[in-house]
Amino acid sequence: MANDKPHATGTVAYGDVDRKVGIEVLRQQGINVEELVEKLIDNAAAEFASTYYYYSILRMYLAGHEDYKEICEDARLEDRQHYELILPRIYELGGSLPYSLHEFADRAGCPAAYLPGTDNGAHPPAEEPTAADILTVLLESERCAIRSWLEICQITAGKDPRTYDLASRILNEEIEHEAWFIELLAMERDGKVRPSGHFRRGFPGEAPYSRNRPFSHGGL
Amino acid sequence: MSPEEEHPGRPTPSGGPATYQVTFELPDGSSHTVPARADEHVLDAGRRAGLQLPSRCEQGWDLVCAVRVLSGEFDQSDSRRYFDQDREAGFALICTAKPRSDMRVRTHQSRAMRDARRARGLPAPRGV
Repeated sequence: MANDKPHATGTVAYGDVDRKVGIEVLRQQGINVEELVEKLIDNAAAEFASTYYYYSILRMYLAGHEDYKEICEDARLEDRQHYELILPRIYELGGSLPYSLHEFADRAGCPAAYLPGTDNGAHPPAEEPTAADILTVLLESERCAIRSWLEICQITAGKDPRTYDLASRILNEEIEHEAWFIELLAMERDGKVRPSGHFRRGFPGEAPYSRNRPFSHGGL
Repeated sequence: MSPEEEHPGRPTPSGGPATYQVTFELPDGSSHTVPARADEHVLDAGRRAGLQLPSRCEQGWDLVCAVRVLSGEFDQSDSRRYFDQDREAGFALICTAKPRSDMRVRTHQSRAMRDARRARGLPAPRGV
């Protein structure tokens, strides 16, 4: 009979659907899975609630700076993609989104990218924010994201290749975003050239590292 | 010894910002006293002295840089999210805290500060 041959790891019984080998092997590698999940939820909240949502507003106030607006849009949509990319991993690891969006936003690992002049979102801007003001908020938001995803890479390197892969794909784009906003802010605010290597995405929010493409489309 | 170290908490002879002495107690049991100007953040002063101190958002939000304040005064107005209850509970976020007196702090207190927030029903990241 099948149950005469117990599972080789000895930690997950044959046919057991209450435990996952995909989690137990991480524990064997020294990963604190529960802590990792909490960090992933914090980071997901930062992508969705601290940047994607508030970048929507920042983008609206870049009227007249159509080049900035398009680049802000790329960052906005790619941050949403980062949320989408990491979300399944949270559940695979036994976690869950909070059942309240309010709670989700409150626990974000990075501060909200409020429109300048709104007193942290309390009211419409008393004066129209400048493009430099908005680019500064965008830049500092990306810097927090870089530190947050780098931490996940450091925790999972050599131990949890799946989470590492997802986090490093996100980190690639956050690093690009920071470089873009440095280039734009340096010229807008200081009149200085700080080349970033930026070139337009193939389409808005392309997310070349973090978007999962269907195999049925040949990976394109 | 520099003039700032001779006269902690006083303006420098050149009229620059006051300088205080901040003592960091680290988890390994060691303590290190470094000068910190009134116009700089405590984390910057510690790092300038070569201390390895944790931080992440560096905007006074995520609690990774949290310390317990054993003595001294500080200005936390640069933080993005800091509550009166945090101060009452004895915590500071040194990435955005400026000294207002000599200070003594115990570092690596992010989990303690997170738990203190949760006990008071205040928002905090969970993964610190």
